[in-house]
Amino acid sequence: MVMTVSLLDRLERQQLIVVTGKGGVGKTTLAAVLGRRLAAAGRRTLLLEIDPRESLHQLLGTEPSGGEVVPAGRHLSAQNLQARSVIEDLVREKVPLRALARRIVESPLFQHFADGAPGLKEMAVLGYALRMVQGFYRRRVDVVVLDAPATGHGASMLVAPLLLAQSITGGQLGEMAAQLGSFIADPGRCGVVVVTMGEEMPVQEAIELVQLLDQKLGRPPELIVANACYPPPPRTMPRDADKMVATLWRERHAVNRRELERLGHNWKGPLAELPLLPVARGPALVEALEACLEQEVS
Amino acid sequence: MSFGVLDRRLLVVVGAGGVGKTTLAAALGIESARRGANTLVMTFDPSLRLKDALGVSEHARERPVQIKAGTPGRLDVALLDAKRTFDHLIETYAPDEAAAERIHGNRFYRDLSGNLAGILEYMAVERLFEVSRDRTYDRIILDTPPTRQALDFLEAPDRMVHFLDSGATRLALKPWWERGGGIRRMPMRLAAKSVERLLDRIIGLGLVREILEFFRAFGPLYGGFRERAAEVRALLRDPQTLFLLVSGPGSDRIPDTLFFARKLREAGHPLGPLVVNQVHPRVGAEHTVRASEGLALFRFLGERDHRGLVELRGLLGSADRLAAMPLEPTPPTNLASLGTLGRALLVQLS
Repeated sequence: MVMTVSLLDRLERQQLIVVTGKGGVGKTTLAAVLGRRLAAAGRRTLLLEIDPRESLHQLLGTEPSGGEVVPAGRHLSAQNLQARSVIEDLVREKVPLRALARRIVESPLFQHFADGAPGLKEMAVLGYALRMVQGFYRRRVDVVVLDAPATGHGASMLVAPLLLAQSITGGQLGEMAAQLGSFIADPGRCGVVVVTMGEEMPVQEAIELVQLLDQKLGRPPELIVANACYPPPPRTMPRDADKMVATLWRERHAVNRRELERLGHNWKGPLAELPLLPVARGPALVEALEACLEQEVS
Repeated sequence: MSFGVLDRRLLVVVGAGGVGKTTLAAALGIESARRGANTLVMTFDPSLRLKDALGVSEHARERPVQIKAGTPGRLDVALLDAKRTFDHLIETYAPDEAAAERIHGNRFYRDLSGNLAGILEYMAVERLFEVSRDRTYDRIILDTPPTRQALDFLEAPDRMVHFLDSGATRLALKPWWERGGGIRRMPMRLAAKSVERLLDRIIGLGLVREILEFFRAFGPLYGGFRERAAEVRALLRDPQTLFLLVSGPGSDRIPDTLFFARKLREAGHPLGPLVVNQVHPRVGAEHTVRASEGLALFRFLGERDHRGLVELRGLLGSADRLAAMPLEPTPPTNLASLGTLGRALLVQLS
């Protein structure tokens, strides 16, 4: 891939990197790869997962976070964040009376509001990330890598502050929305990495996400990563390949090529292709993919 | 034993993203119609390829469209579109023009209804309610959004009923700080005033008022929601309904699959056999020569997927609760290849 060194340099300077894409393409794996890469460059990095079913720890070889920040290597830590608990913490912070704060948090109206109010959870998670890099909490980090939910919801995560900022004027939430909106739209501070696969639906979602980012935020993603590509089949199949495997190999590779070509028509920016590897999902896979990404990007 | 997959009136296809649910749902639909049942396939977000394969147009977003499959039973496809269902719902149930206008005019509705948490899921419930009453169909096959949202989807009727019973809407319809009550309510109103100031400081009263306005505009629609949600809730637990859980291959998918199966059972949904899709074939291990690099990958994938199946069979305790579908070299691109897939799936399931 034609790519300048400046891509990794730029990622290294950012404060928030949002990793997004369709479900099942390997977002969490890629987030772990990027997190390790940034930490290796000396950036104090926090990997943030917001799926209630944790899986990041399996890729890092650490204990499950259970909501806490857990160390995951030199300069690297990880956390599974529940949006709801961030919102509750905000209430406790704003309402000085503990008993009153508890009553608010426990009331059904608040719970419905926290669950249902459009954009609130997204804002809470992004706000937490911003505070992390601003040193609001005791533990300060240089960059947060956010493993965003699958595209539909991941995209709403990126545009939520902007939409909210347009709807709300004044109030602390309004100010926060405006602040986060400009943070997300600033390519100098926030990077978006779209993960996809060489198949129709993931490529379609990647194309739509690029368009959405352009329309709503006026910015492109930093990088699109095509994960789990079948390797090119040899001109003559090895003798030990049976017919079924040979066909599968050729056809699956052809589907990958066709779809990535379609992606190429719609995306002229950096595209890194990562191979499907004979390595089980875990720290070894993350390490192997980190080397592949390094090679693709430099 | 047979699960009588095609004896049930409603088949709900669930599973994580990217495992091929939608394709399998369409394939089952063709096989169902081939066996003579008038069948409707409802799907959320089919790929262009699948839409082309079925020959279905964008009109299917408005109402079910008949597919020219040449099957003894009729085959219809409906595409689920949250925003359109929402609009349709308002037009159908709003008591008058002005109420409909108020909802359409609300900024939240305009900017955010597409993103509004739970709306997509809830709208699917509404559509399911509509078609389940339509006696044109002997069988409905419902494709759901990926796992987490699928859970949201299944829980949507419960959540809606719970929400309506919580009194939150009553409060929204008439916020406590706007209630009258004369001098006796004075302390209440003073307290409300301070709450209002607090809300204003934190989230901005403009937002609160807009959200309340949104709920208020929706007020007249609530009664119907409750009834329909209860009916769909019962339908999703009916013995005439069967859930097909589709999983990706490989042992690293097992926790996800079991989690979902447990959730379904806990919620009282009738769970049928598990379909493990996109399984790589095992590469003959009899060759002692060192496998070439690419082939080593296929050997790895074949073994990984095989191990996953063995583990899953062990965990399920009985082999016939699991159907394994091979990874196809190319995804189906026409009705014929979809039909072949449907027949193969039915063979595996019975």
